[in-house]
Amino acid sequence: MATEKPERFDQVDWNDLSRSGRFDLSVNALGMLATAIPLVLLGLYEWQFLGRRTATFEFVGLERNLETIDYFFVFTLLLFVWFLVLPLLQNPRMTRYYWEEFKRNRPAVVSLVWLGIVFVGGLLGPLLVSAPQQDLLVAYQPPVFTSVVDTTPATCVGEVIEGRCHGTWQHPFGTTQGGKDVFTMIIYGMTVTMQIAFITTTIVAAIGISFGTLSAYAGGWVDEVMMRFVDIILSFPTFLMFLLILYIYGAGLGMFIVVFSILGWGGTARYVRSKSLSISEEEFIQASRISGASTYRVIRGHVVPNVASSIITQLTLLIPGFLLAEAQLAFLGIGDSSVPSWGQLISAGRSDLSFAPWIVLAPGIVLFLTILAFNFLGDALLDALNPEAEAENG
Amino acid sequence: MGFGRYVTARVLWAAVVSLIIVTVTFLLLAAAPNPAVQRAATQAALQGGDPAAAAERVRELRGLNQPLHVRYLDYIQSVYTLDWGWSQSRSQPVMEAVTQALYYTVQYSVPWTILTIILGPLVGVYSAANMYSWKDHAATAFAFFGYAIPNFFFGIILLLVFGVWLEVIPIVYDTGVPVFSVENAIQLAVPVFVLVTGSIGAVMRVSRNESAEFQNADFMKTAKAKGVSPLRAYAYHVMRPTLVPLSTTLVGQLLALFIGSSLLVEVVFGIPGLGRLTYEALLAQDTNLVLGTTLFFTFVAVIGNLLEDIVFTVLDPRISYDDR
Amino acid sequence: MSSDQPLLEVEDLTTTFSTDDGTLTAVDGVDFSVDTGETVCIVGESGSGKTVATESITKIIKTPPGHVEGSVRYEGRDLLSLPEPKLREIRGNEIAHIFQNPQEAMNHCYTVGWQIAEALQIHQDVSDEAARAKAVDLLDRVGIANASSRFDDYPHEFSGGQKQRVMIAMALVGDPDLLIADEPTTALDVTVQAQILKLLDELQDEFDMGILFVTHDLGVVAQIADRIVVMYAGKVMERGGVLDIFDNPAHPYTQQLLECLPEFGGTGGGIPGTLPDPHDPPDGCRFAPRCEYAEEACRTGGQPEEIEVAPGQRVSCVHYGPGGSPSVVRSEEFGPANGDETGPTGGESGVGPADD
Repeated sequence: MATEKPERFDQVDWNDLSRSGRFDLSVNALGMLATAIPLVLLGLYEWQFLGRRTATFEFVGLERNLETIDYFFVFTLLLFVWFLVLPLLQNPRMTRYYWEEFKRNRPAVVSLVWLGIVFVGGLLGPLLVSAPQQDLLVAYQPPVFTSVVDTTPATCVGEVIEGRCHGTWQHPFGTTQGGKDVFTMIIYGMTVTMQIAFITTTIVAAIGISFGTLSAYAGGWVDEVMMRFVDIILSFPTFLMFLLILYIYGAGLGMFIVVFSILGWGGTARYVRSKSLSISEEEFIQASRISGASTYRVIRGHVVPNVASSIITQLTLLIPGFLLAEAQLAFLGIGDSSVPSWGQLISAGRSDLSFAPWIVLAPGIVLFLTILAFNFLGDALLDALNPEAEAENG
Repeated sequence: MGFGRYVTARVLWAAVVSLIIVTVTFLLLAAAPNPAVQRAATQAALQGGDPAAAAERVRELRGLNQPLHVRYLDYIQSVYTLDWGWSQSRSQPVMEAVTQALYYTVQYSVPWTILTIILGPLVGVYSAANMYSWKDHAATAFAFFGYAIPNFFFGIILLLVFGVWLEVIPIVYDTGVPVFSVENAIQLAVPVFVLVTGSIGAVMRVSRNESAEFQNADFMKTAKAKGVSPLRAYAYHVMRPTLVPLSTTLVGQLLALFIGSSLLVEVVFGIPGLGRLTYEALLAQDTNLVLGTTLFFTFVAVIGNLLEDIVFTVLDPRISYDDR
Repeated sequence: MSSDQPLLEVEDLTTTFSTDDGTLTAVDGVDFSVDTGETVCIVGESGSGKTVATESITKIIKTPPGHVEGSVRYEGRDLLSLPEPKLREIRGNEIAHIFQNPQEAMNHCYTVGWQIAEALQIHQDVSDEAARAKAVDLLDRVGIANASSRFDDYPHEFSGGQKQRVMIAMALVGDPDLLIADEPTTALDVTVQAQILKLLDELQDEFDMGILFVTHDLGVVAQIADRIVVMYAGKVMERGGVLDIFDNPAHPYTQQLLECLPEFGGTGGGIPGTLPDPHDPPDGCRFAPRCEYAEEACRTGGQPEEIEVAPGQRVSCVHYGPGGSPSVVRSEEFGPANGDETGPTGGESGVGPADD
């Protein structure tokens, strides 16, 4: 229900963009189409022919179900691969140059490695590790290399030495009050984190870039009205609006993503508009206009590629806000409690904080590191991609 | 165009924005089934009555059977006359509940805001003056730590360390202590610290980067050639231009935290302020109170944005009022 | 101060900067002096160390921190050994500066009045009203119309020439004995430039100031200078009275600078070649790599000793030294193409190589 909206958004926007190239589809667009069509077909198949309780891949004998949100996640991943990773591979010289610039920033490289772990963990973890199981017998196991008084856990999985239960590699980050393995739960939380990061940024980018470039090129009163609209969007207290929607309608992760991205693109649009305006002043744009290129072509062929690097930076710096908001809502326990996010885990462990602090500490530190990594990454991208902006925005 | 006209135009625009947001809240509410109506219907069904009739009675009682535009006008009128209805969960008018909660919110918001406004730019400019020294690196590390650590998580940890283990701060917030007392200062110290850590990072970064530009500006050489001491040069010639871009970050940063994180911090520390009021209203399904607190925060946001724009315009003499 | 002592006497001034690529020597053992009431011009291409040399006098060099050596004697005091607070009392009070770009040289957040009053109140204990009165007086003196109402205007509300006038007013608050003007007219257009030069000339008489004027524009030099110091790559090439040097430039570099002027038949094309790398200057004469008369002797050792070629005119060139023959350099008749003995008079011309 709530998640239908972004589907339309994504498809209309991106497929339109690639189709309206009038048969001069790039490899990237072709690849995108080739991979997105099976996904859409699979989605239609599930929606049309499978019952709610039937697993998506039952026809090949897999016990794996795809939720609506998973479809969007895969879709954004495809976009990411075809329009960000592939172009980098296609231009090895440019990529090497960026990498040389980027490499100088040590914290950013470490951040990239960390985000890579979270990304791969979130993508493959749920496929390789089975979902955490409730097992009251192994509740409150301490993390490996630590120990607690042996009355804390129900039964100690590891050794008990001098009345203290020692942690084992079986539960590297310990277990919760329900005996669920904290490490596994963190892996599952990575999926949620990556879903939020990828889907929200895609929607924000799609709306923000279209709105910003349109406004810049329309000019005049249309521009004025569009920017006033952005003003209003920016004035919305997103967190509160989501609370209100949550209160009135109830909301899950899908709704969270929709609300936060629909109220979150104002800054991007403003940014894209000012960038487009300054870029369109440049000579090569003027030249291509004079030579008769259509406005659409100028935007698509010159403006978007030229503002892309700064938009990526801007988007990277938006992600921490979304992650934080989700964690806060999950912690309050007024969202969908079935979403296995890190905030949820922190919330669940709060009552046991004094004797089993690892339940809060492990996901909290992972969340902290991830937000930190996105910030470092954004900062480094800012320096690597547009050095002249360093002093202004850094 | 003079300053007065600019301010007038800007205030009118803020009124329009607030009206739009209020309208959105109305539409959200109108499009959903009213929980009170549902409750009445369920209750009637449980007691063997007619659920439809009971629902109708409640609808009539609350004026929900009237046409949409009449309800909308009613709603707008009561919102702007501050007649925000009756809170069922607290058995008092919503306005009164908000005012009471505000009393506690102000107690930590004022020191938090003042500390951020004073310390942020100072540390940032100091950092720029000693760029790439260990002091600058330490300040930068603190700034990143501040805006990366989730406030509620940081709060929980500090509460665990200082409240449970070291027992230097009370675990339960005591509303009985006087506002200006040592006890109150102690119990508010950690929440204020947590919020300052969260808001100061961005302020420090912006003031550092902006003042880095100004401390190398030609006018600093002029100042030096005039015989201005380094301290005075930083206090007047670097700090003052830095305040212009900073004003936009500062208000935005404080507002975002005020509306988002203060709710969490109040819940974590058990402060009976506006955030906790919102939280409890959500749990108690008290529609009027939820709406009341939401509207309150919304108005704070709109006024904050208004002030930000005006302050920015006042601070930068180069901006003519016609341009904005 | 004894009468035979110059107002400012700079000896063996050397300014170095530590950079990532090693030590950069911007000014390398430079001497010059300025007397009360006279105007000394330091001339040279951009990057020849003129600005650094003047900013070393009161140590106002911007980042990266430069290291200044040598001696700067001002009214008998050695400025380089003065502690910073004492130096601050002199800056803006006894020795004032004006800079190339008046737009950037003023803080855009304060009114011009505030900035003038600040300069005054740092050095003198005067009330705000008195400071305002004095600032308005000075604004009026430098030719700002409606001075009392413009006191409260911000820099962006002034034109380029007016801004430079305001900067001059700011420099005058302490009734300075020495005014250091660093390319004050470069950023202005020609008519405004002439007005500012005229104003400086009037003020020099009125305040009895010595002016140390930095420029790359020989046209400007002809208009205002009493004496010239020609600098190239951190070294002095030639010095002397303005008429002597314009009539009889001794150093090949000075000759080439003058040849660029239209009055001397120049095309404005500039001197071929570029300045040497300040991290690793060439042996011998600094100008040798670009000099058409350079010989083997020019490329060994250090910069040649200065030789007096006429009363008050001294040149650092191998050809004038022992064993050299000045005729190598002075082979051709030198002088304005139109035969005018007094040299160029217009302020409209600049030498080509200036790239700022």
